[in-house]
Amino acid sequence: MLLDDRRHDDGQDDDRDDLPDEPLEPSLLAAAREYHRPPEPPREAMWRAIQAERRRARAVRPARRRWVAWAAAAAAVLAVGVGIGWMSRTALPHNGGASTASWGPPGASPRINETAYRMATVEHLGQSEAFLTLFRASVQSAGQERLASGTARQLLATNRLLLDSPAAADRRTRLLLEDLELVLAEIAQLAADDRPDDRTLIREGLDRGGVLSRLRTEVPAGSTPTRGDL
Amino acid sequence: MDDRELIGRVLAGDPRAERELYEAHVDRVFRLSCRMAGDPHRAQDYTQETFIRAFRRLGDFRGESALSTWLCAIAVSVTLNGIRAQRRARDREVGLDDAPAIGSRSIEADPDLKTRMAHAIDELPDGYRTVFVMHDVEGYTHQEIASALGVQPGTSKAQLFRARAKLRTALADFARD
Repeated sequence: MLLDDRRHDDGQDDDRDDLPDEPLEPSLLAAAREYHRPPEPPREAMWRAIQAERRRARAVRPARRRWVAWAAAAAAVLAVGVGIGWMSRTALPHNGGASTASWGPPGASPRINETAYRMATVEHLGQSEAFLTLFRASVQSAGQERLASGTARQLLATNRLLLDSPAAADRRTRLLLEDLELVLAEIAQLAADDRPDDRTLIREGLDRGGVLSRLRTEVPAGSTPTRGDL
Repeated sequence: MDDRELIGRVLAGDPRAERELYEAHVDRVFRLSCRMAGDPHRAQDYTQETFIRAFRRLGDFRGESALSTWLCAIAVSVTLNGIRAQRRARDREVGLDDAPAIGSRSIEADPDLKTRMAHAIDELPDGYRTVFVMHDVEGYTHQEIASALGVQPGTSKAQLFRARAKLRTALADFARD
């Protein structure tokens, strides 16, 4: 509230309704009405500025919603990964000499574990591919970079989890996850270390390593439902 | 067209309605902002910010007050925040050696009534000044002021009474004329 100082320095109660309404003397009132006399409002200039700001806000909002969706999806994949990791750790022999084939809860079929890892990996790669496509196409301002870096950090966490899991046993998948880790780590650094050339370097890195095209090869069409949003 | 219909069209995405709403209220918002800020350029910024916020939050407008009052409340909030931020920045920039010069304008050096009145209004506490400017300078009613500032009409009346008393005291020599 603006007028929260109802009792002022002079000790007067300032919430009274019974005070007389005594208008200022005409000469004083006329002088008061000259106080900060406004010029003609610059209506067109202000309208243009308002519209420009509203257009900018509308452009950012859908992108923000998409980043948030990616972040939520990445978190879901991470949860799957953590679950897989927990299941796997509970089954590790105490001598620590486990091979990938021995991972999994007692009695669980290695085939079930493989399927779970493959699903989590495909989901993660699909999210990463969609994220990088969006990043490549639309990241132009510092505000969006901050959103992108947040999503990249989430995807990076999932990526590292998968790299440390039997999902990386397949050489081609491991190499792709390693290359993806470099790209995601670079994007995650964007907000903290915002140099103008960074985005260009990342885009060039994406093209040079063929990360996006390799991701698209790895991800079966239609396996990532949210891709259609792009 | 009443407020509700206009708001409905704005919320439905009608750009002409946005412009109508803006045209209907921009002068009043700009005038109030300018009176309070004392700088047309800053008033322009505050007016723009007022409408940007208003369009963004229009869906939250419940119609408990008139749209003009709701806009006025946003304008007062935006302007006062801007003035306070400006004051803080100025206080940081002004060294202690310069401080006594501020607010100690010489009355003898500037006897013009308009100037004396402007100085006297500047010297009022924020609450008094806001109510005085809204009521006596811009012609808002106590009900409108109360709605815009979130206080009781009695508070607005009392603030105005005290503001006028302070001004009369500050300009006693002119008041006798």
